[in-house]
Amino acid sequence: MASSRTTTALREIRSRGEESWGEVRSGQWSKAASAVVAGTLMSLGLRRRSLGGTVVALASGALLYRGLQGRKAHRPAAGRETRHGHAVEVEHTLTVRRPAEVLYRLWREPSTLNLLMVDFAQVTTTADGATHWEIQEALGRTLSFDSRVVEDHPPELILWESTKDSAVKTQGWVRFRPAPADFGTEVTLHLALSPPGGVVVEALAKRMRAIPAMRAMKVLRRFKSLAETGEIPTLDHNPSARVRAD
Amino acid sequence: MRALCWNGVNDLRVETVPDPEIVNPHDALLRVTMSTTCGSDLHFIDGYLPTMKAGDIIGHEFMGEVVEVGRDVKKVKKGDRVVVPSFIVCGNCWYCDHELWSLCDNTNPKPEYQQVAFGYPTAGIYGYTHAFGGYAGAHAQFVRVPHADNDCFLVPPGLRDEKVIFLSDAAPTGYMGADFCGIQPGDTIAVWGAGGVGLMAMRSAWLMGAGRVIAVDRFPERLAMAERFTGAETVDYSQVESVVDVLREMTGGRGPDACIDAVGMEAHGTGPGYAYDRAKQALHLHSDRGQALREAILACRKGGTLSVLGVYGLMDKFPFGAIMNKGLTLRTAQQHGQKYMHRLLDHVVKGELDPSFLATHHFSLEDAPRGYEFFKQKKDGCVRAVFTS
Ligand SMILES: NC(=O)c1ccc[n+]([C@@H]2O[C@H](COP(=O)([O-])OP(=O)(O)OC[C@H]3O[C@@H](n4cnc5c(N)ncnc54)[C@H](O)[C@@H]3O)[C@@H](O)[C@H]2O)c1
Ligand SMILES: [Zn+2]
Ligand SMILES: [Zn+2]
Repeated sequence: MASSRTTTALREIRSRGEESWGEVRSGQWSKAASAVVAGTLMSLGLRRRSLGGTVVALASGALLYRGLQGRKAHRPAAGRETRHGHAVEVEHTLTVRRPAEVLYRLWREPSTLNLLMVDFAQVTTTADGATHWEIQEALGRTLSFDSRVVEDHPPELILWESTKDSAVKTQGWVRFRPAPADFGTEVTLHLALSPPGGVVVEALAKRMRAIPAMRAMKVLRRFKSLAETGEIPTLDHNPSARVRAD
Repeated sequence: MRALCWNGVNDLRVETVPDPEIVNPHDALLRVTMSTTCGSDLHFIDGYLPTMKAGDIIGHEFMGEVVEVGRDVKKVKKGDRVVVPSFIVCGNCWYCDHELWSLCDNTNPKPEYQQVAFGYPTAGIYGYTHAFGGYAGAHAQFVRVPHADNDCFLVPPGLRDEKVIFLSDAAPTGYMGADFCGIQPGDTIAVWGAGGVGLMAMRSAWLMGAGRVIAVDRFPERLAMAERFTGAETVDYSQVESVVDVLREMTGGRGPDACIDAVGMEAHGTGPGYAYDRAKQALHLHSDRGQALREAILACRKGGTLSVLGVYGLMDKFPFGAIMNKGLTLRTAQQHGQKYMHRLLDHVVKGELDPSFLATHHFSLEDAPRGYEFFKQKKDGCVRAVFTS
């Protein structure tokens, strides 16, 4: 039953001209080979128990998905995305056990986005109703931009875009559709991002390229837990004999 | 507070760590009154399960007294004496609602590992690998219990800790393993592994109407326990040419109606298959030693049920053809403790189940590394070491 109703779909879509990942995906490596290589990388990464190891594991996890999903990943989900030509686009779906109306309202609550993005960005609402994003970077710099809801179809779809004068070009949407039986609502999150020029480009693009699918997955997972239980599972203040306890 | 920490393969130490705090509104804090060792811990102590981090507090089988509750906790109160299943559940998701508790969707703060390794993340566990959430464990003076109303079970008055502690993990696991067998009155159930989990599966099989229970292990004291406390017949696999042949002869040439694997990825074995597994595992090629599971598959009667409780990672030379061609039903899971807790407490209160015989060795928390040494080496007939602080 569960397998015929795939409740989680993970797709990554990138614009043309994206060399390395694109090649891996589109045929130079067979599906099977990339899955095997990814599986090996993954176990190496997981075994090393270091941050580097984790990154290897996660990056190769994304590779594993691509290996398993093959060329299907090239098909754009909707016309809009590829026209924009964003550097990174990712889409992820989860089923949440609440009605669409409740989920729509929760998503629009001013405090929600910040809770979902907590380890990635600070999200606040500006005086004129825009959403202000601040992304902390590896280089200790902060990247900030504003976005605005440009399409709003309660309780089905919310679409936002970065404002014209933003340094970062981004677009995102979240869609709520009824799931079969007693599963609740299928929630799809779509994120697209083109980093600005300069030094920041590289750092951010690299970071986003390594784990964008995982990022979207975690954001949706947090949303699901918040909607279903009223809280988000956390390791804050988790005791251990380490300095940082996560 | 003091807590038992994993610092690397075979390196456990009791250290001073920060106290846990209420973090989420449904949390409770427990003062741990008793905790115990589990065979699952050995898999990461020995380095066969990835995603441990040096400094992790371990331990997932425990009970204690509630000392503080978060603002949205409704049922559980300060002062309650409770036992807590090892898997953390939310009580609200589709899986919880369908009694597939260990598959809960909302308690693993690190879903990325399992999303990659298994396709979808499962619930979190206390004191286990980071793929299962990385929560601080219970071999400590205090522990944080998320979703306390769904995870803390009130202990009926008058029961000693030793009678209740194993309802956290070993007993529900064994009980679930027997439940998976769909036992018809008179069925013959064979159980590989006479550790805490296997022994609980044997006792549970009787409670569910089995006609015969057969224990397979090689440690005389564990086999003796199987006989004495669960009434099982025993097979010492180190003393026979072929366990499969012996079981076939014991069952009129049919094979057991259901076979339970309570051994897992570090099965000990004899013969060339074992040498192959052992060599691969030693080289960290990450495949399991699967002797017990392979035997269970071959021994099971046609159309029978295979109930797998042992923890596995990757296994090769897996005789799937035998499962397919013999039409076996395969049932397996991490334990759904919340499903069985009330039934188990009821059995204990009525005197039908007394798991306290598993607690062969007592240590103080400060002495926990020695407790694990006894447990792992099965020194002095140790089946479970229990810790009190
Ligand atoms: N599914 C769950 O939720 C769950 C919960 C707890 C434990 N477990 C798993 O169950 C397994 C058993 O746990 P435990 O705490 O009883 O462990 P344990 O280490 O105390 O006992 C394992 C027993 O298996 C025996 N054994 C080893 N090789 C054997 C073989 N080839 N044939 C027969 N017996 C053999 C050992 O001698 C030992 O007595 C472990 O893999 C553990 O990880 C699963
Ligand atoms: Zn356990
Ligand atoms: Zn749940």
